[in-house]
Formats: sequence, C-alpha cells, structure tokens
Amino acid sequence: MNEPSETRPNPSEDQTLDTPESLEQLRDAVQSSPRVLAVGQRTKPPLSETDATLVCTRRLSGITEYEPSEFTFTALAGTPLTEITDTLAQRGQYLPFDPVLAGAGSTLGGAVGAGLSGSGRFRYGGIRDFLLGAKFISGEGEWIEAGGKVVKNAAGFDIPKLLVGSLGRYGVMAELTFKVFPQPVAQLSLGIKCSTHELARQRMARVAKSRWELFAIDYQPDPGIVHLRLGGPPQANDQIAEEIQTEWSGEVTNIPLSESIWAKTSELNFGPHDTVLKVPTTGPKMQQLCETLESAEGVTLHASLAGQLVWIAVSGNTRLRSIDTLLQSLGLSGLMVRGNGTCWLGSENGAGMAIGSQMQRAIKQAMDPTAKFPELPFPELIASQ
Amino acid sequence: MEPLDSLASIYPESRFSRDAAFQAAFESDGLTVFRAKPRAVVIPESAEEVIQTIRWCHEHAVPFVARGSGTSLSGGSLPVADGIVIALNRLNRILKIDPVERIAVVEPGVVNQHVSDAAASEGLYYAPDPSSQSICTIGGNLAFNSGGAHCLKYGMTSNHVIGCKAVLATGEVVTMGGESLETVGPDFTGLFVGSEGLFGVAIEITLRLLPKPEQFHTVLVGYDSLQAAGDAVSAVIDSGLLPGALEIMDALSIEAAEAAVACGYPPGAAAVLIVELEGPREKIEQERQQLDEILTSTEPFAQRVAVDEADRLFIWKGRKSAFSAVGRLSPDFLVQDGVVPRSRLGEALVRIQQLSAEANIRVANVFHAGDGNLHPLIMFDGSQPGALHRAEELAAKLSRLCIEMGGSITGEHGVGMEKRDFLPEMFDEPTIRMMHRIREAMDPKVIANPGKMFPGKEAPALSKVGLHPLEKAGVISRE
Ligand SMILES: Cc1cc2nc3c(=O)[nH]c(=O)nc-3n(C[C@H](O)[C@H](O)[C@H](O)COP(=O)(O)OP(=O)(O)OC[C@H]3O[C@@H](n4cnc5c(N)ncnc54)[C@H](O)[C@@H]3O)c2cc1C
Repeated sequence: MNEPSETRPNPSEDQTLDTPESLEQLRDAVQSSPRVLAVGQRTKPPLSETDATLVCTRRLSGITEYEPSEFTFTALAGTPLTEITDTLAQRGQYLPFDPVLAGAGSTLGGAVGAGLSGSGRFRYGGIRDFLLGAKFISGEGEWIEAGGKVVKNAAGFDIPKLLVGSLGRYGVMAELTFKVFPQPVAQLSLGIKCSTHELARQRMARVAKSRWELFAIDYQPDPGIVHLRLGGPPQANDQIAEEIQTEWSGEVTNIPLSESIWAKTSELNFGPHDTVLKVPTTGPKMQQLCETLESAEGVTLHASLAGQLVWIAVSGNTRLRSIDTLLQSLGLSGLMVRGNGTCWLGSENGAGMAIGSQMQRAIKQAMDPTAKFPELPFPELIASQ
Repeated sequence: MEPLDSLASIYPESRFSRDAAFQAAFESDGLTVFRAKPRAVVIPESAEEVIQTIRWCHEHAVPFVARGSGTSLSGGSLPVADGIVIALNRLNRILKIDPVERIAVVEPGVVNQHVSDAAASEGLYYAPDPSSQSICTIGGNLAFNSGGAHCLKYGMTSNHVIGCKAVLATGEVVTMGGESLETVGPDFTGLFVGSEGLFGVAIEITLRLLPKPEQFHTVLVGYDSLQAAGDAVSAVIDSGLLPGALEIMDALSIEAAEAAVACGYPPGAAAVLIVELEGPREKIEQERQQLDEILTSTEPFAQRVAVDEADRLFIWKGRKSAFSAVGRLSPDFLVQDGVVPRSRLGEALVRIQQLSAEANIRVANVFHAGDGNLHPLIMFDGSQPGALHRAEELAAKLSRLCIEMGGSITGEHGVGMEKRDFLPEMFDEPTIRMMHRIREAMDPKVIANPGKMFPGKEAPALSKVGLHPLEKAGVISRE
C-alpha cells in the first residue's frame, strides 16, 4: 500500500475546481484539462486524492424524470441524495439500499462512483442492482449513453455496472437512471444482545436464513448487539417481532426507530472517528476482525449485511498501518471513504478485485484511451495465472 | 502437426469430436432458424481443460462459442462456422452450498433448477427462474443475464451473481467479485454478466441464495379487455404492493394454453392477469386483503385464488405452457422479447395489434407485465414461401416499436444473432464504439462468440422455425 499520509493539503486551495452548470460546460471542462477527476460534494475525500483538475458536478443537479408508476427516476449526477430520497418518499417510494452519506451531502454520482450501499442492501440489493442507465462523458469528450431507462433491459454490455465503484476513473457521469421500490408501510427495529462475537455471528446467520425476510441485519460489536429491521404492514411486523422475542427470550429489545442505528450507519457516524473504511468480508472474518480489534483504542467497528460488510472507523491515520497489516493477513481489502490520505488498504485480492492485472488495465485503456482520468488508486495487482 | 491435433491432444477421444454427425446436435440452439457447422466440439470436464482450450483458440486465432444447454432464444449459442464449440454440460458440479453465508459456488454447466434443489434442505433457493430452468445452465443464465417470472421483486441473474472466475478470450484467468455481497473497485462481475459469451468463459460462479418464501398468494383474474388487465397492473403497482410476479396473457395465448394443458382459465376472457404475493404468512395475511380490494376495484369478470400449492402450480401451468402451446395454433412461431415503459403497455399492445393486422399475421401476447417485458409470439407457416421472411419483418417492427417507446430490444433473451442489427438503433455510435472497445479489451482477436450482439457480415444458414427439440419432447416450456 502507499504510505498513509498524516496530513493532506486541501485540494480546493491548490487544485483547480471547475463547477460547470450545463452539460456543454461539463464537456468543455473535461476537454480543457489534460487530467480530470469528477467530484460531487467531496463527502468521500480519499477517493479524489489526486493532482488532476477536479470537475465538480454539484451544479448539475435535479431530477429530470420521475414516473412513480414506472418505478424509475432519472437525475443529474450532482443531485443530492437527500433531494432524491425526499422526492421519492413523497410518493411512498425509496432506494432500498440505504444510500450512504446522504445527510453529509453526497450526490447521486458520487454514490455510484464510490459504489457504496448501506444496511438495506441486504434485502433487495445494492446501488449496483438499482442503477439502470448512465449518461457519461468519456475522456475523449464523447457522450456515452449506456444501459436504459426501463426496469428490465438485457441489450448490450452492462456498462453502468462497471461505473459502480470505478471512483470516477472511467468517465464523468452526468445523468443516472435508477429503479426504485415502494417503501414498506412500516418499519420496526429490534436489538438482540450477544455476549460474544461468535454468538452474534451465529444469530445473524440464523435470522438471515429465516422465514421473516428481514430488511437489514447489522452488528454493533460494542456493546454487542445484533440489530434487525423489519418492513411491512405494522401488524405483521409486530407479530414477527414477537416471535423473534420469544426465540431469544429476555435478550431482544424493541428499539424505537428514532434511536435505531440505521441512520447513523448510513452516515458512517457509528463511531466517534473521522476515518472510515469499507471492508467487504464474510462472517468468519468479520468475527476475527471484531475479536482482534476489540480492545484497540480509537477504533470502532460496525458490521452490516449479516456480517458481509464491516465498516471500520478510526481516529486519525495513526492506526491505519496496523489495520492494513491485519487486513492483509486476512486477505481482505479496504477502501477508505472518510478521512484523509490514501484510499486503499489491505490485500490486493479481497472481494471485488479482479485478480488479473491485464484485464483491469485493458478495461481502463478501453474506457479511457487517452488517460484523461487518473489511474485506479489500487496497488499493483497480483500477476495473472 | 495440424493445429487441431494439438487441441485434440488435450482431450480423450470421447470428448473431442470433428465428426459431422455428432456435431449436428450442436448446430443450432433455441432459435432454430439459424444453423452453422463447427470445426470441432470439445467437452471439457475440468476448468483446466477449458483454460487450455481457450489458450489454444487464442494462439491459433480460432473462434469459439461456449455452450450450456443451447436453449438460447436469440441464437447466442449458435456455433461460429468453422469454430470450436466448448460444451460445458459436464462441468456441472456444485462446488459449495454455504448456508451460513447463503451462497452457492457452482461450475457453469450446473442446471439452474439444481441449485435450488441443492439448497432446499437449508431453506434456501436461487431466485432467478427462467421457464427453461429445468434444463438451462447457470453459465448460460450469466451470459444472458436471464430473467423469469419473478424479476420484478428480486431482479435478473445479475442481481444474484456475486462473483465469477472466468477465462478471458486472451487466455487470462480472472477472479471477479467474491463471497461477499459487497465489493470494492469497479464492478467487473456486473460487466461480465450479460456479456453473451463475448468476453470469455465463466468457469466458476458464486451465487447469492435467498430464504425460500414461506407463503404464496396467487390470484388469477379474468378481464374483458387487455386494456383493463393493463390498468389493473398499474393499480397494483400504484398501491405500494410489491408482488413477486405480475403476468398477463391475451386471448390467443389463453386459447392455446387451454387447448394444451386445460388450465381452466376464465372462459371468454380477453386477458388474464396472474398476481403473486410471497413472504412470511403474517405479511401475506395483511397484503392479500389490500390486493383483494384493489382487484375488486378493477372490475374483473372472474377471479380465483389458488387454494393450495397444487392449485398454484396449476394456475402457473397455463402461463408456463403458453409458448409451446402456441405451437398448437401455428406450425411455426417466433418468440419476441422486448421491453416498454410499464405505463405504456396498453399503448404498445394496441400498436402490436395494428401491426399484426396490417401484416395479416397472428400474434399472441404473453408478458411479464410488472416489468413491461413483452413476449409477442409471431405465428407463421414455414412451409409457405416467404412466410418466415414476413414474420421476421414483423418482428423487426416490434423491436423498433420498443426502441421508439423508450424501452429495450431485449428484456431477458439477449441480443445474440437475432437482434444484432437493432443494437445500433438502440444505442448511438459513441456508445457502440465504447462497447466494441471493451470487447476488444477482453478479446483482442475477436474469437469469443464473434458475429453475435453486434451487426456482422456472416449470416449462417436459415432454416425453418419450430419448437426446440426439448420442447417437442415436453422437457421444457417457454416463458
Ligand atoms: C423453452 C424455453 C423457455 C425459456 N424461458 C426463458 C425465460 O423465462 N427467461 C429467460 O430469460 N430466458 C428463457 N429462455 C432462454 C434461455 O433458456 C436462456 O437464455 C438461458 O439462460 C440459456 O441457457 P443455456 O444453458 O441453454 O445457454 P446456451 O443457450 O447454451 O448459451 C447462451 C449464451 O451463453 C453463452 N454461454 C454459455 N455458457 C457460458 C459460460 N460458461 N461462460 C460464458 N458464456 C457462456 C453462450 O455462448 C451463449 O451466448 C427460454 C428458452 C427456451 C428454449
């Protein structure tokens, strides 16, 4: 990994920040600099750690099409997630994956580029599954309109999915089309007290497989609570909650939604720290992470997706080196989404990394032949077989 | 040594064939209108053999086509003339079912239904359910991003493939995604799914499994117009319910289904709607009341709720048999697959009826109404001169109609050979160029399934259209 830097110059001071107000201006901005990276509201600073000219999409904002009975909307990339969630909520709809950092101001384009989904990803899928189409500008200044505007479409390569998690390194997104779902009539939150991480893991596995169809299953290692979210008609939620309470009698509490962890988790505010990493994993390694980092000072963990995603929050960058070593030893990769410094930690072949550097390089070359956008900030990948 | 001999040396004699008679079985797929003769057919039994085969193809610049069960309805698994067919049916091991992480890791030749069967004892299942699921493979599903009747709620194949190991056409072996629902970095798995075999061959696939729904509530509703059935779909959607399935059949397809399987659909119905709710019993208890009220307000002339699982399957039987049943009304037919915005379904149907009348060709309609996914069945008699051509002309008009209405030329059957001329009508030039560049990144020598998806020169021999051999045998039916 690169050396995690302790401090970082503020890019908005020493880097050009272009803020186009129209699609034409956006294209001009991309064409007029040799090296460009799109940003939204910069809620995830490590992802835009670069010396390229930053092109900010925040003035390219607004929902351009929304037809509730189609279950779709189209919005400009700089549209704040909150504007979208509010508009959808007025019509009883939502993005079921708990969009991340909406409260912090994240834009739709930034959410796609970062590839972040919250706890709700568990039930119906993540941001990748709800993205239907993308209009973006290539490094050569051409408009590419990939995917479609209807909920089902199997024509051509699924380029929109490739943009998810691409950190703006393949193009500048201008407009995105999403699928949406009806909001559940009511939601209900439960907490199950667990005395060990292992017990928490077992219980998450149990509920994840259950007939109850939970909307979210998270784990707070400190103080050891598995959080469950139910969605549906209120009576049904109550009845199911009662059964869960009976199953672990005395250990389950009803948590009022206003005090639940869901919003804090989506805002990555579950710990009092400024640096947050996203670490895709599986149950056993989640447990190992929890056990190893249990008494580490200045480190808070939060697990989502029944243990398949761990968010690690740390104070400053001082602990990053040991966390990097730990992730490497577990074969996990971590993406730093909050804080300052390099965005990559851990192993080069954790979940999501395409082992086979040639493919990754060839795709970058195909998407961006003139190297208008920075390289993906990942370590050199293991040579292919 | 003849280059083909070095390929033959990878395989025992029984799994390598240049024999014309043996190869005849691989000349076509579910779109029987096209045929092509491969140079050789190989039947690997290990991932390593697939890798070696593709490296051989790469070295000698010989085209290859991966083949699962050959049920593609768009000509996707049609051989490339003088290329190699890599038949993957024997790579059919389920490598792992992990009930704790709720995943299955499978080889590409595993049959879709077998995944759910293997996971059933753990209370889990694999959600995507193409009607060919008793025969089609996960590799084919992945390549086509296949759908089924239950996509509205849980999405297509892509939503359920979380990782994939593949050998690219360059011979490079890559691992994309993993066992977690989440990843970091660009979503290469998402790009690979739906690439129609143009990037290489998937050799190991990691699937997400879901808990089996505890209860189903299936309602069959009869309407006296297609419009009324379409309006009912909108009413259900607008109510905030999220059914597992919302399917419509028109009078002609009802007639065919009735004749084929005596499914007991309301006599005289101009359209039937099947709505299915699924979930925990407490939820279904509440939601069925809501659904009841909505359906009553749509003034159906007949309505029936499945009383038990057998009855539910009976209702679905009519729907699932609809396509093959059309074979009773017409010696030949083309299965179309297109998508329009759901709110324009009614309008699309009126246009289809007009086009059908103008061409004097009967069209039966079956659709995944919740997704706006149409499957018009264009009937013709292939023994009549020019009939196939006229049917294809009508099919082309229907594809263009979908594009014009802001939809897609394919919802689930893929572009393949059949729709390749329409891809440039759906996407503009820079976007198509970008797709070509991505393809070249994965396959610089253009040897992986060439001639599919993008317009090309080579057009294999046309033949008469008919039921897939497996349909004739009653093994599968279309959706
Ligand atoms: C009766 C009938 C009903 C059908 N119903 C449905 C339906 O409801 N929904 C639906 O979506 N489709 C349906 N189909 C279409 C078809 O079954 C699907 O497209 C299916 O996914 C094809 O699977 P297969 O194993 O037969 O693949 P094949 O036809 O053998 O191959 C399909 C494509 O996948 C590629 N391919 C195969 N394996 C691999 C691999 N390992 N790696 C890379 N590429 C590979 C092939 O090259 C080809 O391009 C139906 C077809 C029939 C005949």
